[in-house]
Amino acid sequence: MTTKRTMGLLCGVAILWAASLVATVSAQTPAAASAPAPAPAPAAAAAAPITATDLTSIKTPSADDRAKGDPDGALTGTAVDVTVSDSKAGLTIADLANQAGQNKIAINFTWTLVCGFLVMFMQAGFAIVETGLTRAKNANHTMMMNFMVYGVGMLAYWLIGFAIQMGGVGAVANLGGTAPLSAEHTIHLFGKDVGIFGTNGFLLMHHGAYDVGVMVVFLFQMVFMDTALTIVTGTAAERWKYAAFVVSSFLLGAFTYPLFANWAWGGGWLATLGTNFGLGHGYADFAGSGVVHSVGGITALAMGIMIGPRIGKYGRDGRVNAIPAHDIVLVLLGCFILAFGWFGFNPGSTLGASSNGNLRIGSIAVNTMLAGMAGSFGAILYMWIRYGKPDASMSGNGLLAGLVAITAPSGFVNPVGSVIIGFIAGGLVCIAVEYFDRVAKIDDPVGAISVHGVNGIWGVISLGLFADGKSNYGGSWNGVSGSVTGLFYGDAGQLVAQLIGVAALVGFIFTLSFVFNLAVEYFVGQRVPAKVELEGLDIPEMGALCYPDFVLKTEGAALEAVS
Amino acid sequence: MVAAGIGVTLAGFAIAVSSLGMATGNGARLVITLVGIAVSVFGILGILNPAYQKTVVWKR
Repeated sequence: MTTKRTMGLLCGVAILWAASLVATVSAQTPAAASAPAPAPAPAAAAAAPITATDLTSIKTPSADDRAKGDPDGALTGTAVDVTVSDSKAGLTIADLANQAGQNKIAINFTWTLVCGFLVMFMQAGFAIVETGLTRAKNANHTMMMNFMVYGVGMLAYWLIGFAIQMGGVGAVANLGGTAPLSAEHTIHLFGKDVGIFGTNGFLLMHHGAYDVGVMVVFLFQMVFMDTALTIVTGTAAERWKYAAFVVSSFLLGAFTYPLFANWAWGGGWLATLGTNFGLGHGYADFAGSGVVHSVGGITALAMGIMIGPRIGKYGRDGRVNAIPAHDIVLVLLGCFILAFGWFGFNPGSTLGASSNGNLRIGSIAVNTMLAGMAGSFGAILYMWIRYGKPDASMSGNGLLAGLVAITAPSGFVNPVGSVIIGFIAGGLVCIAVEYFDRVAKIDDPVGAISVHGVNGIWGVISLGLFADGKSNYGGSWNGVSGSVTGLFYGDAGQLVAQLIGVAALVGFIFTLSFVFNLAVEYFVGQRVPAKVELEGLDIPEMGALCYPDFVLKTEGAALEAVS
Repeated sequence: MVAAGIGVTLAGFAIAVSSLGMATGNGARLVITLVGIAVSVFGILGILNPAYQKTVVWKR
């Protein structure tokens, strides 16, 4: 009891401290959206144009100097390395300008690709988190779902999904244009033309999509889509028929995810709520709390309701039976891998490191790690106060909840806001897990609905509250000048835009996912037979045990009841 | 009941989107959107989930 009181007191002090900091920051910020501070006027000498004389006076290392080696790096990377278009004319201003432009795009390509590779590695994190949280008798099946979701999702996205999502996005300036992605299907709504889905880029060949910039966009967006798909496998684990998983994942990667992603990131109607209806900067979702995590979590909710709980999760009187994780080491290692991958997820969403405002990648990375830390603390505190022990799996889920929540606002909030968002997410995930487990009786073995669905929505809303109006990505966002600013800093319209995005997730995306999975249920069947579930899915579904040398615990009484 | 749950969930979305045409002020739009979200949540957790819970495995 004393421990609980102490923890509660500490928790209260922490919240008061955080609230006072926010109040201080708010007080220092004008109520109206503040325009980015203008850059200081350059000195007259610095503004003078480059002349041919300047070029001829550039000193470059001689061949003799280079032959001696360059141990300190001072001679490597000079004007000699600039590509010259006409060797007879020598170095020209046009050569310099072209080289500078190519360097900018090369930096942005490299940044975006490397961040995409980090996000791809998150698949490994998801795989071992989900496998660790389920039972050993289903480990092969759970790993194989996480393994194949990468391939199934990629195929669906390459064939259909990418064109629907990004086919009408237009020029992505950071990546040199992506001009072929220029066709968005629109409808007329309340007197405005609003985008619904893109139509260019099928198979990465259609309408000039065979383009270097388009390829970079595809790779980055593809790994994001795959993250959404792998969320669902956690909720339906230990009872999902493998064939049904394949078909369901294909539909999610080809249609459901790309549709909402188009609305938010591809120039669709949510992104233009600002320009068309005066709602802040339109629906803003920097790295995908809504687009990626909520779409995955909401689809997981649809699956959780439809497929039903695992046998043994609830007694005949409705009491809840805990089904413990089989490997906490895998769970927490997976959480670390995911936290590492998140540094690709959020900072990479600038789609570049060399452009106006993109140096905010430092702030985005710090916001990401702070929110993860705060989420972990929030969950540990909640569990410690409520149950007397700091639960390991919920601590991991708290870390992930903080990261999910900060994904949307990471580009628009300050460090104090990040900590508050993450801390709330940590508590929220525990409450949500209890609600779905005990009240709604929706069995979610890994807590995916709570981590990704609930906290994805919290992330979307938190942006509408905590965006501090200090970011500047080229002077505008979603076509609206100025910085994205939330309710606490003076723009109520932004919060409304965010809530309309939430309504689209909960109302439309849930319905679409549910109907697709009803079709899968009708044609394929979603759930394995009870006998297979009790024996474990590894042999019946995959043909091999994950741990053949282990003696697995049987569920004799339940098995007899079924047979 | 499943069809009703799907219908109510989708209706919540329609209510939220209608706020764009029905109102111009942020306050009114906020209220209508929140009503839309509440209707959708009721459709999912108040109608659809109970419909599936009637035949859930642990009650058989």
